[in-house]
Amino acid sequence: MEILVYGTINSVSLALMGLGFAMVYGISRVPNFAHGALYIVCGFVTWTLFHKIGLPYFISIILSLCVNGVLGILMYRFVLIRVRGMNISEIIASYAIGLAILEGFRFGGFRGMTYTLPVFMEGSLMIGSVPVDFHRLIMMVIGILLVAGLWVFTHHTRIGLALQGMAQDERAALMLGIDSDFMAMLAMGFGAVLAGVAATLILPLGNIVVESGYHVLIMSIAVCIVGGLGSWTGAFFAAFIIGYAQILTVVFIGSHFQMVVALLAIILTLILKPSGLFGQQKELEERV
Amino acid sequence: MLEAHDLMVFYENMIALNNISIKCDESQIVGIFGANSAGKSTLMYSLSGIMLDIRKKELMAGGERITLRGEVIFQSQNIMNLKPSLRAKAGIVLCPERRRLFKESSVLENLRIGGYLATKAQAKHTLEYVMEVYPALQKLKNRLGGFLSGGEQQMVAIGRALMAQPKVLLLDEPLLGLSPLMQATLIKSTKAIQKEKKISIIIAEQYARPVFPIVDYAYILENGAAVMEGTREELMNNPDVKSAYFGVS
Repeated sequence: MEILVYGTINSVSLALMGLGFAMVYGISRVPNFAHGALYIVCGFVTWTLFHKIGLPYFISIILSLCVNGVLGILMYRFVLIRVRGMNISEIIASYAIGLAILEGFRFGGFRGMTYTLPVFMEGSLMIGSVPVDFHRLIMMVIGILLVAGLWVFTHHTRIGLALQGMAQDERAALMLGIDSDFMAMLAMGFGAVLAGVAATLILPLGNIVVESGYHVLIMSIAVCIVGGLGSWTGAFFAAFIIGYAQILTVVFIGSHFQMVVALLAIILTLILKPSGLFGQQKELEERV
Repeated sequence: MLEAHDLMVFYENMIALNNISIKCDESQIVGIFGANSAGKSTLMYSLSGIMLDIRKKELMAGGERITLRGEVIFQSQNIMNLKPSLRAKAGIVLCPERRRLFKESSVLENLRIGGYLATKAQAKHTLEYVMEVYPALQKLKNRLGGFLSGGEQQMVAIGRALMAQPKVLLLDEPLLGLSPLMQATLIKSTKAIQKEKKISIIIAEQYARPVFPIVDYAYILENGAAVMEGTREELMNNPDVKSAYFGVS
């Protein structure tokens, strides 16, 4: 029972971390290595707005999500647009931005364990014999709603359909008047907002520390590689696989092996099925 | 309406289009005929601006250097440096070679992605129109693009291009790999679309025979150069064309 409940919660939080990365990569083919940094930015901005400026919690969250979106758009508009299509440079550029942001925070004095955000709702609930606090439940509900919302967005709105078209065949989308640079910029903005959503949901459970930026980056890459780069459904299912695997390791082997699971998953996937569970690109290449 | 003057395209030092000038008037169907590698697709890409995107991508990836020269005139404006997405907005829509459907989206979604530039009313209206022209798609609405036969894919591809509200529709090898029966159906519907929507259509095709009856004017490309041009009647009665493209000696 414990495994089931905490496995699901862990999986949802992994899915939340990975979604933004998967979305940006799926649409613009830019691996956004600043994803973890954006996640942390949202945490610290919310913290600053809430604790230093004294805005209501909800408003500081909304504002910091907006900040994140704008940051993502600016990052694409001024840096990544110049290197788009050059695979290595994309990674170097986005990772450099991420490093600059994360280490900038560290340099600016955001160190230690003192930065926390309040949970949405105090208290806990018993599911069977397992106590679960409300915040984790809220996180799960919002996570699932978010996935459902994204599905509706990409299947039923003009912009969402255009994003989907671009993800599948950029040039064919271009022929239909879908401007790929504009769409990639939008995708980057959405990805940044998704990183922010993940941050606002997950960070109240612990401290906001710079290191978790790197952790989130690794986890989201693991999720995306296992699920197949560029596939959102893949990322979602992979999050569940890794999530449960992690909890199982925690229960049966020991909690410090948790991180190994994600990295092992990457390695195993690359050896056994390099295109990932739901990836198509490599398979296409093999066919050609 | 859509004209190209002295268009030249080089891939590195290889010349793909050599001083081509073509012209498509309002409500005209223009045929571009030529063998493989004659430059048909390059011409279509240059007209629709996709060449600019290809050039950019090649530059980024450190691939081939592509050079473009000449002018493309659309509604008496030089659009040679206009981005492909803006050209599509202006009304030049390409239906590409090998269809390039969105394989993981359903037929309906494919069409709706095509309607990105259309207003809601236009999209609804055009969607109905597409279903009317290609009744076969009605039943396949929810089938994924990758699971369609070649002919069905081509219908979706043309329908998708129509959804973008074109003024000039560029069809690049629409008959590629289709059965003669399907070819005839598609050609008939193409003519019907042109009549109904009052748009211009440029068709690039290897085999002139199935397309020839509906074109008003045609160009014949060889090695990147337009070696012959004329109205349908002129070309029909030209002995060289007869032997080379109709197999009649």
